This record gives sequence, C-alpha cells and structure tokens, in this order.
Amino acid sequence: MSTFDWIPPEFTLDQCIKCNICVAHCPVAQVTDRFPGPKYAGPQAQRFRMPHQPSPDRSVDYCSGCRVCNEICPNDVSIMEMNAKARAALVAEQGMPLRNRLLGRNELMGKIGSYAPRLANFALHHPVSRLAASAIFGIAREAPLPTWSTTGTFLDWWEQHYPHRKRSHKKVVYFHGCATMYYEPFIGMAAVAVLEHMGYEVIVPPQRCCGLPMLSNGEFRAAEKLYDQNLEKLGPYAQDGYDIVGTSTSCTLTLKEEAPHLLDRHEVISRTLTGAVWDIFEWIREHEEELPQDFIDLSLTIPYHQPCQYRAHRVGRPSVDILRRIPGVTIHESGARCCGIAGTYGYKKEKYDIAMKVGEELFTFILEEETHHHTEFNACDSETCRWQIEHGTGQASRHPIEVLAAAYGLYDLEHRSLRNPKHAITS
Amino acid sequence: MIDLLIIGAGLTGLWAGILAGQKGLRTRIIATGHGALHWTPGTIEVLGYLPGDPQPVKRPFEAMERLFTHRPHHPYRLVEPSALRAGLTAFQQVVARSELPYQGAMRAEENLFLPSPVGAPRPVLLAPQAQAAGDMRRSEPYLIVGFHSMRDFYPTVIAENLSKLGHHARAAWLSPDILTDRSDVNVVQLAQALDDRVVAQRLAAALKPLLRPGERVGLPAVLGLERHPEVFQLLEAELGAPIFEIPTLPPSVPGMRLAQALRRHFEHDLQGQVDLGMTVSGFQTHNDMVTWVWSQASARAVKHRASAFLLATGGILGGGFHSDHSGRVWESIFDLPLAIPQNRSQWFRPTFLAPEGHPVFRGGIRVDAGFHPIDDEGRVLYRNLYAAGNLLTDSDGIAERSLEGIAIATAKASIDHLFSSR
Ligand code: SF4
Ligand code: SF4
Repeated sequence: MSTFDWIPPEFTLDQCIKCNICVAHCPVAQVTDRFPGPKYAGPQAQRFRMPHQPSPDRSVDYCSGCRVCNEICPNDVSIMEMNAKARAALVAEQGMPLRNRLLGRNELMGKIGSYAPRLANFALHHPVSRLAASAIFGIAREAPLPTWSTTGTFLDWWEQHYPHRKRSHKKVVYFHGCATMYYEPFIGMAAVAVLEHMGYEVIVPPQRCCGLPMLSNGEFRAAEKLYDQNLEKLGPYAQDGYDIVGTSTSCTLTLKEEAPHLLDRHEVISRTLTGAVWDIFEWIREHEEELPQDFIDLSLTIPYHQPCQYRAHRVGRPSVDILRRIPGVTIHESGARCCGIAGTYGYKKEKYDIAMKVGEELFTFILEEETHHHTEFNACDSETCRWQIEHGTGQASRHPIEVLAAAYGLYDLEHRSLRNPKHAITS
Repeated sequence: MIDLLIIGAGLTGLWAGILAGQKGLRTRIIATGHGALHWTPGTIEVLGYLPGDPQPVKRPFEAMERLFTHRPHHPYRLVEPSALRAGLTAFQQVVARSELPYQGAMRAEENLFLPSPVGAPRPVLLAPQAQAAGDMRRSEPYLIVGFHSMRDFYPTVIAENLSKLGHHARAAWLSPDILTDRSDVNVVQLAQALDDRVVAQRLAAALKPLLRPGERVGLPAVLGLERHPEVFQLLEAELGAPIFEIPTLPPSVPGMRLAQALRRHFEHDLQGQVDLGMTVSGFQTHNDMVTWVWSQASARAVKHRASAFLLATGGILGGGFHSDHSGRVWESIFDLPLAIPQNRSQWFRPTFLAPEGHPVFRGGIRVDAGFHPIDDEGRVLYRNLYAAGNLLTDSDGIAERSLEGIAIATAKASIDHLFSSR
C-alpha cells in the first residue's frame, strides 16, 4: 500500500453521513455562534462552492484549523482541508487584512525583532503598543505573543558551536522552525543535545518558515513560495536518505502533509521530502533501541497536553511513549481537544475570546493537576500552545524534548539552558 | 509489543478493550473516528423484533430460539445465553462505577418500552437510569417538555403518538433562553449548558409550574454531559416526580456519555489507549498469522504490531464494509469473505420499512466457534485474528434492535476465546 493514495479533500464530501459528531466536538462551534460547525462549513457548504463563483459564506474563517473534526469523523471526511481551501478562496476573492498578512510572516517578524530583541520585546509587550496593535491591526491586546531571545538566535548558537559538535557516521537533519530560531533557541539546543546523545551528528541546513501561518490565513501563493524554497534546501537531504526531524509539531505536519495537500503538490521531490520528515519524538520512538538508558531519576509528575496538531500526524502519542521510559516520571494526559490558540487564531482580536473559551477545558485540567499534584510545569510539543497554556494558567510549560534532555543530565529544566553548552563529543 | 490491537471504537471495541484490560492484556484501540455510540441512544437493546413480525419482543431470552429459526447463523448462536446474561451484568457493574447506572427489568428479563423521538415504543433491555422512567409499561401520565427552536424534538408529536398508544400524555414548551443565550445550538451544547448548576436549577424552576401531580416528565436527552448524574438528581429532587430523557436525533448525548465513561475506564483504570483518526489501510501476515496492520498517517503508514487482533469495525453502517457502484461489498481491511449479496438489485426489499429488514444489512463476516473469521469452506483465515460485533453475518442489529446486545455478547465471547487460546 502507499500513503500517497491521495484524494482531493473536496472529493470526500460524499463520505459524510451527516451524523453531526463533528459538530458536537468542534471546540470552536461549541463556544461561539459565529461558526456553525464543521459539517456545515465543510461537506455541506462545499456543495455550493463552485469554481469562479463567489464563496457562499464567510463563517468558514472562524474555523481554527485544529483538525479535531478530522480526528473524530467516522468517515474520513477531510473537513479541515475543505475549510482551509474555502478560506483561501475567500482571501483570493476579497483580499485579507494587513493583520493576517503580518501574522502570516512570523519568520520576517522574528528576524526583524532579533536585531534588537530587548527593544523589540519592550515594544511588543508594552501596554501602549499593544493598545495600538489592537486598534490598528486587530491583534488582541492580551494575546500570548512570544518574547524574542535576548541571547541570540538558534543559528547564532549553532554557528558558534557547530565546529566542535559531535561527528558521527550516523547523521540527522534538524528543522528548527521560526519559534526555535528567534524566540526559544534553547529548544533547539535540547534537541541537538539529545540527538547527539543518541549517537547522531546533527546537520542544520539553511531552511525557511514551513509556511503554516500563511496557509492557515489563506495566503496560499506566498506559502507556496516558502514551500518551494524548502524543497530546494531540504529536498536534496531527503533524496540522499537523511531523516529530517523537527521540534515544532505544526512545522513538521506542514512539511509532511498540510503544504503538499493544500497546495496540490504531489511531484516526486515533494513526496520524497514528505517521507523524510519526522516529528522529533516520532523519530526517537522509531529509533528507540538507540536511546541510551543512562537516565537520571527525575521524580516528576508532568501534566501533558498533546497538541491537536500533533494528533493530526496520526502517529499515536510518541512523546508520552518516550517520556514514560524516564524513571520517576509520571505523565498525566490532558485529553483536552485544543488549547484554543491554533497557531495565530487566538492572536486575532475578534477570536481571542473564542480561543480562551476553547482553552478552558485544558486550563482547568492543568490547574487541577497543580492543586492535586503540586506540579510546577506542564509539557506540550507546540510553541504557540505552550505560550497559550502559560497565558491561560500562569504555569510554565516545557517542550518534552527539554524534559528528555534534562533526564540525561544535559539540560536545566528550570533555567532552560544546556548544562554544558560547549559540551561537544567528537568521535 | 502489545497483546491485543482492537480496530474500532464503538461499543464492541470499547467493551472488548475493557474485558481484555481486566484480564491484564496490554490492549490498544485504534479507529478512524468515534464509533456509533455517538449517534445511538445509549440504551442496551438485546432483541426487540423478530424478522417479519411487527409485534415487539417482550422477553428477549425466550425469543432467541424463534430468532434462530429465521437466522440459523445469528451471532447470538455463538454465545451461551448464560454468557450473555453475565456480560450484561458485568456491563452494569462497570457503568455503575462510572456513575452512569443502567436499569432494566433484568430479573424478569423483560424489555422496557421507551418512547422514541417520535413517541414510538423502543424495546430495550437495559436503559440508562435517566431514561428508565419513560417505560410504557408504567402507568403514570406523561408530560413531554421541549424547547422552542430546538431542532428535531417535537413534544406535541411525541405526546400525540403516546396518546394513540393509549397513554395519557400532554406536551409543553419552554423557552430555550432558560438554558442558553446562544441562537442556534445542538443537543451537546445544551447538555453542556446544563452542567452548570445554576442553569439546571433554572430549568427545575421553569418545569415546576407545568407539572401536575402524579405525572412523569419527559425531556430531550440533554440533562448534562460531564455532570449528568448531578443534573439528573437535582431535577428529580426539585420536582419530586420521575424524570426521563428521550434520546434525540444524532448526535446523541446519552451515547456520548456511555462512550466517554467506557473510554475513561479503559484508559485510566486499565492502562489502555484509544487513538482516533487512524484508518487501517493494510496488513502483513506470516504463515497463518497477522503480524501487523498499518494505519494511514501524515507521512508514512504507522505499523501496529500485536499478538492478536480484534476486528470490531461494524458492518455497512459502522464503516467496516465498503461497496462500489456495481453492488460489490467487501470488508475494508482484510478483505475477508462476506456472506452478503454482491449485486445491487439484491441489496434491498421493495419497501423501505420491510419488517424482514434488508438483505444487505444482514450480511457480514462468518466466524467459527472461536470467533476467527472463516472462508467459504469453513477454514480459519488467520489464527490470531478475531472478529466481533455487528460485522458478523446473519444479524440485522437495527431491524432486530439487537445492536448493543450483539456487541456486548460477542465482545465477551471473543475475548474469552482469545484469552484461553494464549
Ligand atoms: S463527523 Fe464526518 S460524517 Fe459525521 S457529519 Fe461530520 S463530516 Fe459528516
Ligand atoms: S478544524 Fe477545528 S475549528 Fe475547524 S471545523 Fe474542525 S474542529 Fe472546528
């Protein structure tokens, strides 16, 4: 069999039996009247969407893209993809607000801010500028926007340390994504440390934003440019048989599936790249026999939320499978559908409240865990989700790779830094 | 490697998962999406109608022999009646521990007759506590209450049809504002609104003046989701009258509660794991054993290895079978031989509500006494593959009103065989 037996999303509408299960579980429809729900926005409205004719409804813009509907639909209807394509058609028809254009360009924003991160942080998080951003652009004042790294970007660190890092005949390519690059370089450091500890030499080739923020804002053409550049930069590694692992689960999903599916890209090189990309824990689980057993007993209870974007990979729960191997670690899974933020969705003024209401079930879980088990932090694989969880609960959130690195004594979980940043094992 | 991979997250899959977990088997459930529990009424129907007979069955266990004269290969044939009884009792115990008690006339082994969303009698053996007081064998007059603007629930239709059946029944309407200020809501949202104590109290206050002494109150099945037991108790206590829920058109809140309770028990108490969004698309065999199945995923198929596999994907309605325009029907994962008409013209009888049911819904997989799928010659296909639930041949769960009985009975029997053959 082949995973590439790909059916265009529109073609799946006839599989819908109108059971309404998706409407009952869509986290957005549950909290707002502005979105009628997946069945209506997806397979039902799709019947009225004709090429070269105006879009029948605008409410589809309220779909957050969380893919909960896809996950639970008993009939494999590609609801979320239908919605995303419908939004792109709306954008093509009616244009898009400058705000969405900005949010789609997180790579550019990251880069600009990183030139003077302290100033950028001050400007971005200052109440006055947030007020202005809200009034002018419609970016929610309270939205959990990220903070630029003040100790340099991930690439700064990598370029400085690369000459002394581990060399090995086993090699793996690392896709850091924009968030690790500009805001959380320590996630990349933790990933590099773990991969090296597993005996691999890490390669960090030039790379572009995966394009997800643009895809989810309906800017397909701009997203395709990024995708083409990534094909060009990463494709050769895939062709040479390297695995490409990422720590941002939404980036890896985009490279694997979202970009090629939404952009109708199914040529050989695109399929080769798809086949080479892994979420880091999915990859670690596949290489479990190479996972060293020199764990420190962490004696920790960690509430864990598997992001909706990770569930959309449909690979089970790799982070849980691996973290449970660490002695003394107890994982409590949230079982929550979505934290609400859904990429850039919750940043938008008109959607902020929806996102916070959607997140409530997760926030409640985290806070109850804190009360009952005195947990000090939680874990989640996606950066925007972590920021949203911290915003909604006040509790610190960590990437599971930070936990794994800490379990090998390589990483300080509290200060989010490598224990020995210069540490290089050359072989 | 795990001991057992169950494919399908309906009642059969979840219940089999629980039974396997109780026996200490490391078990995982994967499925394309939520199972039929999310749109069925949450009741346990064991046998409600015999083929061709418009009269409902009063005592399901007594009617089994007559069923077998029409359906010689019926799945119940593979299960000892005592095993079915034990299975139902075990089910009651598990759900009661999850604060979702089920009731029935189990000692007399008689069906309850509960009003459907149009007021017709539904013969069920076990009902959630919150539906039991609707039983038509009881004599209290009915007050059926609905909410204006709520879709697919019409108390007047229900009351009229109940009256035609000889019951005293009347209808009343309430404003949906009591529950929510949303303009267009589905039953799940109403149920979630009622999880709030304040809202539940507001509903009780609105119901009180409508109620006449001696009446029982039927409401759409939206009496809370997460806090359903509290909501139900609160209403009963405040009104001092029997309350019951009438299941609605899909999605079904009582079905979701049951699915949730079973899944939680399986995952939290029995270390099981349920993953949805995983469509099985292929399998590998070695000699006469299945070594793994794989499911579709984002970049590459995911391999699932297990010592044994239980197929619980349901029949035509559950998605276990596929068909094409010509009328060919096949089992969607292992392409198991199906006893089902392979020609479209033989699928259906001429009348939609034919009391005999339609041949296409009755067909399915043949299994041996150990619940292994077999071929036309009766040979076992794979020694570690089992099948249970409504994909088995010679039953029509919907026409017979036996969906859940078959699920519980065959889940138990197949897990027992699987366990003893280890
Ligand atoms: S869950 Fe799937 S089949 Fe059911 S209504 Fe939604 S799209 Fe249709
Ligand atoms: S992707 Fe999420 S928000 Fe959009 S329709 Fe599906 S469940 Fe609702």
